[in-house]
Amino acid sequence: MKGMANRMIEVDSLTKQRAGRPVLDAVSLRGTEAGVTVLVGASGSGKSTLLRCLNGLEIFEGGSITIAGHRLAAGGQSTVGLDDLRRDVGMVFQQFNLFPHLSVLDNVMLAPRVVSKLPVEEARSRAVDLLDRVGLSAFAAARPATLSGGQQQRVAIARALAMRPRVMLFDEPTSALDPTMTSEVLEVIVDLAKGGQTMVVVTHDYGFAKRAATWVVELAAGRVIRQGTATEVLP
Amino acid sequence: MIGCRHTIVAVACVVAATVSWAGAAELDEIQSRRELVWAGDQEGGGPHVFPDPANPRRLTGFEVEFAKLLAGELGVKARFQQGQWDRLPLLLDQSVDCVINGLELTPERRRDYGCSRPYFGYALQMVGRRAAPPATLADLAEPGPSGAWRIGVLTGSAAEIEMRARAARGEAQIEVIGYDGTLDSMEQVQTGVLDAAVLDDCIVAFYADRFAGLRNVDRPFAGGLYTVLTSHRTPKLAAAIDEAIGRLIADGRLKTLYDRWDLAGRQQMLMLRDAAEIPVARGRTLGELLRQALPLLLSSAGMTVLLSCTAFPLAVAAGLAVAVGRLYGPAWLRPLLTGYVEVLRGTPLMLQLYAIFFLLPKIGLALPALAAAIIGLALNYSAYESEIYRAGLKAVPLGQFEAALSLGLTKWQALRHVLVPQAVRIVMPPVTSDFIALFKDTSVCSAITVIELTKRYSVLALSTGRIVELAVVTAVLYLCMSWPLALLSRWFESRLDRPAEGGP
Repeated sequence: MKGMANRMIEVDSLTKQRAGRPVLDAVSLRGTEAGVTVLVGASGSGKSTLLRCLNGLEIFEGGSITIAGHRLAAGGQSTVGLDDLRRDVGMVFQQFNLFPHLSVLDNVMLAPRVVSKLPVEEARSRAVDLLDRVGLSAFAAARPATLSGGQQQRVAIARALAMRPRVMLFDEPTSALDPTMTSEVLEVIVDLAKGGQTMVVVTHDYGFAKRAATWVVELAAGRVIRQGTATEVLP
Repeated sequence: MIGCRHTIVAVACVVAATVSWAGAAELDEIQSRRELVWAGDQEGGGPHVFPDPANPRRLTGFEVEFAKLLAGELGVKARFQQGQWDRLPLLLDQSVDCVINGLELTPERRRDYGCSRPYFGYALQMVGRRAAPPATLADLAEPGPSGAWRIGVLTGSAAEIEMRARAARGEAQIEVIGYDGTLDSMEQVQTGVLDAAVLDDCIVAFYADRFAGLRNVDRPFAGGLYTVLTSHRTPKLAAAIDEAIGRLIADGRLKTLYDRWDLAGRQQMLMLRDAAEIPVARGRTLGELLRQALPLLLSSAGMTVLLSCTAFPLAVAAGLAVAVGRLYGPAWLRPLLTGYVEVLRGTPLMLQLYAIFFLLPKIGLALPALAAAIIGLALNYSAYESEIYRAGLKAVPLGQFEAALSLGLTKWQALRHVLVPQAVRIVMPPVTSDFIALFKDTSVCSAITVIELTKRYSVLALSTGRIVELAVVTAVLYLCMSWPLALLSRWFESRLDRPAEGGP
């Protein structure tokens, strides 16, 4: 296992149960050390649960995870505080989960201000840059509720990027969007991938997987049934 | 159908019977039902009316025996009706025929009620702590060691009127504090909250053994006479009572009764025999009434505002802390906070105020009435606010918490910056509505001597006899204060009715 310390994501024999039934059954991943890993599989196959284990939103009973240099063990044990781990691992949700009481700009500025204790000016210029990058600088003062779904998801991406995470997790980022909005969000994700951002994406969108994935993992009933490059795994 | 009509007739008869029965009964009705209903307050009521220590279900007291004699003279039995002392006269409009409970004969009472010839003479007696000032009544002319002397009295009693008049005339440097219970003021003197109390001499004599730490200050002063109160609508009953009292005085049965209670002397009997006529007070116009009452009502409304505006922010802050602790605090803390909420929600506010004001001094923590009232209201309402906040926090979608955690915020940072600000918006309407409720609940504070709007109304209504007019003025004052709050509440709701924010 040469170069272990540099590997961004490693999942070994991950086991998780819910109400006595296994939702993840000895899941081990190869080839996910960098680049874009895409998790595919039917609903209920465990792919979202696996993703949520990666930043400690779910605890698991067996196996271990190494992510962005931090180690997570069974029962919610980790080498560092979960909040330290999560600074290095950004997450984007299917339902965006923007903070409705804050403006778009304040959504993006919140974590740099509160978690990284950045001065206001620095946090603001970082947020403005990121909103520019996702094409939404004109909406900085707007409330999230006034934006379209695609715009909200781009804000959510900017919000996660504001912490400069080493790994980004995307949980079905386009499932709640119509096709036009889907493509505007996917463009942003593909751009990030081209820029060398390590990421794990849960998606049903095989087109996106073929375009961007460096590694594809297919799950069924909590088990890995295939993993490899997109051409090896996808039909 | 026929059965139905019968039912209606029967109901109508019952209603008619009830209506005609409401209020005091006239002599012939009392004699036909063979029962004289008399009202008194047995709470701390010795030696007048009090539960027999040997058998607390039985009432005893010299007025119980006096009522029995009186009823016997009318050829009927006596039946007791319990009431709050300063509201006893109001019962004459309900279901009692007369009030016998140490009510002093005053010009105002003669105007508003039927007053019998006196059946007892009393004087006021001041009591203080042993070996503590004031030493004499004359000492009250100068301020005490810590400013104005704090003097407790029974609300609505002749002692209250006398002491307030002395303060108003500048004859005494005193702060007069009214209590609902006879013994409350003696308790408070004993615990050191008050400098002295002023009560009827027969009460002081009766409870002297129980309050061994107290002593009589100076001689009795400012005496008066007790009268039996009847309604103006029952003149025959009033006349019969007068004649009966006359017979009881003349044939010595009243003296025998008082001798048994150690209340009588030759002087007492001579005084009763020769009791002077008390003049009838002049009625006042509405304008005069308002000129006199409005400034008092307004200043008491100020007390109501002060109580609500200080207690409620404290209640909201404590409630939020309790809610957060119950939802996100350490496991050992949660049952404690649940207990806190259930105890404060499950016991009456009045009881909590009593505990803070009357029981804490017994363990050396004597709070001024205002502070006790604010703390009591804040504690009580914090339980309700915490439940509202708990619901509000639970109403914020879980995704909000997860999104905040995923950004690296700690649990407490997520609460402070993401969950609580959203919960606050959700709970605004119920919290505003609770503010209105607390605003009205401040009236309970009169139980611990804080005079707010309702208490002031009650005192003024009884002393002037203008119950309805002053009720309207008081209600208008309450509405003037609560209406803006209602508007505020509606404004919050309209803000929340706008299209939902957040997800698609």
